[in-house]
Amino acid sequence: MTNDVQERLRRIRGGGEPKRHNARTIAALTTNPGCSRRAVLDAAGVDKAKLARHIGFPSQFGQSQFALIRGYQFEAQVKADGCAELITLLRAHLGLTLPEVSYEDLNDVAGNDDNRLRHRETKNKLGRRDDPGTLFDHPMLTLNVAGQDVFLEPDLIAFQVKGKFHIVEIKSFAVIDGQADGAKVAAAAIQSAVYVLALRNLLVEKGFSPDDVSHNVILVTPKDFSNQPMVTFVDVRRQLTVLQRQLSRLTRIEDLLELVPERVSLSLDADPGEVAFDLGSIEPRYMPECLNTCELARFCRHEAQGSTYAMGRTVMEDLGGVDTVAAVLDLARGTREPAPDQVEVAALLRLAWSLREESLGTAA
Amino acid sequence: MRRAAQAGDQALVDELREELREAQATWEEALVQVAARPQRARDRSARMPAAASGRREAATRAGGRSLLPLREQVHHALTLLTVPAAPRLIVAVHQAFFGAVIPNSRLTSLRRDEERSFRSAPFARPYYLCPALTADRLGPSRGLLSISTWPIAERIVGPLSPRVHFLTAAIKVAEAIARTPEPRPEALRLLARFAANIPGGADGSGPGTVIEAARAELAIHEEADRITREEAGKRAGRLTDVQRLFGVRFEVVSVVEDAG
Repeated sequence: MTNDVQERLRRIRGGGEPKRHNARTIAALTTNPGCSRRAVLDAAGVDKAKLARHIGFPSQFGQSQFALIRGYQFEAQVKADGCAELITLLRAHLGLTLPEVSYEDLNDVAGNDDNRLRHRETKNKLGRRDDPGTLFDHPMLTLNVAGQDVFLEPDLIAFQVKGKFHIVEIKSFAVIDGQADGAKVAAAAIQSAVYVLALRNLLVEKGFSPDDVSHNVILVTPKDFSNQPMVTFVDVRRQLTVLQRQLSRLTRIEDLLELVPERVSLSLDADPGEVAFDLGSIEPRYMPECLNTCELARFCRHEAQGSTYAMGRTVMEDLGGVDTVAAVLDLARGTREPAPDQVEVAALLRLAWSLREESLGTAA
Repeated sequence: MRRAAQAGDQALVDELREELREAQATWEEALVQVAARPQRARDRSARMPAAASGRREAATRAGGRSLLPLREQVHHALTLLTVPAAPRLIVAVHQAFFGAVIPNSRLTSLRRDEERSFRSAPFARPYYLCPALTADRLGPSRGLLSISTWPIAERIVGPLSPRVHFLTAAIKVAEAIARTPEPRPEALRLLARFAANIPGGADGSGPGTVIEAARAELAIHEEADRITREEAGKRAGRLTDVQRLFGVRFEVVSVVEDAG
């Protein structure tokens, strides 16, 4: 990345140190890959939560304390006594042989938990070819996001069997009768994909092939209403593709910056109105899903009022080519002549309108 | 305590407060013993509100056994297990065989207190509770406690040791249950937890099956693990006393070559 670009990103950020990413924020990048606003702000390392508060749209999410404690307890249980429960599961489901029980704790290096030190230790231990080891607790991985190396500390274990590495993600949401909350599984899958990618980068540096890290992630969750752990395999190939695309977009940030006016600065010291105006000049792509993953979502939703994309992907695709709700209504009532590419949509809308009139009468 | 507070040594204040609390508890316990025959003491413990301290209740249940400081309780549990163990397991074992509940939170400060005590007066106590050492760097292992009087090789943790320790602990717990005429339900639960995670351990019932199954798996890992630990043990001969007990710490924080 050239100095010129760095300088512009610094100005957008309004000076100061860029905010660090973690697996959650990297995973969030992929939920809405088309959003230039998020891409630019993330590349610049803007603290979106503070920015949202500054312009009057504070974000209202974070992790619940209870969820954190529950997650921590379940993980401790699965990993207790030299990963006894985990080893039992892996023996049953992955054909781990009896002698393969080696366990390396990478949480600290001789009582020191410095990130760089741990990363180096992780690299040395995982990259050993003579004595490859089996379980690696809390490896420290890195991933390059928009030109800066981000340390990722997965709450998990990297696991090697038959020369192939797997990511083991321990999550505390229950799988009941083989069914889990789809959104939670999706979130776990995308987070695991971040780790798979980071682990691949690390091993490639050590001369391994990317295929040495399996795209099948091992998800360990409580079974039904018990505390008994169970194993599910999650294929994260699709998430990996999305993630790689989004990350390469961040490194090719020059192209995105060309669309942003030169003067834009989102400094928290500036007048909120001006900041909001500047923010408006970076093109957003709001979707209702953003509310779960992006701190700025409330601002974007407010801005998107009256447009069809605020209603979600399905509605937007059904109304292809019609941008605003007002236009949709006009087309339906027939008070507006459709453009050539809107003819098909307009016919459907008029049909829908007449059905509505028939069933509800003119009172509606 | 006042002197320590004025000197701003919060850790020492905590330690002294703990000692005071233990002294008071011992005093109360002594009163109970003097005032009542064991039978009546038991009745009283049954009437005591649920909030009564676990330790006092346990001591009375054990027929008025003298009250033990925390480090002694941990020492008991570790001696039964014969291998380094995590606080979780120590608490479970102590509850299963000695009936007393060790609050987990008190274990966290224990290690620090032991080290401070050793540094101020080396070898003043007959034994110290100290971390197990990692085989590669002889650093303190995270969360595993051991006893200073064990041979150094027994206090070292190599890559295979967590499993070896788990299996050994299973055997020891099973043996202890076999020795006890009426094991507590907590002890049986602990055994079941071990059994479920050892191949063949849950096939039959009773401690015998667990011992057999654990021995069978142990035979696979034991030799390789012993070699790693003994090799590391030899290296540990070069360490200072403090390092040998509490581990070599990696103090470099400032400039570490980038992950190259």
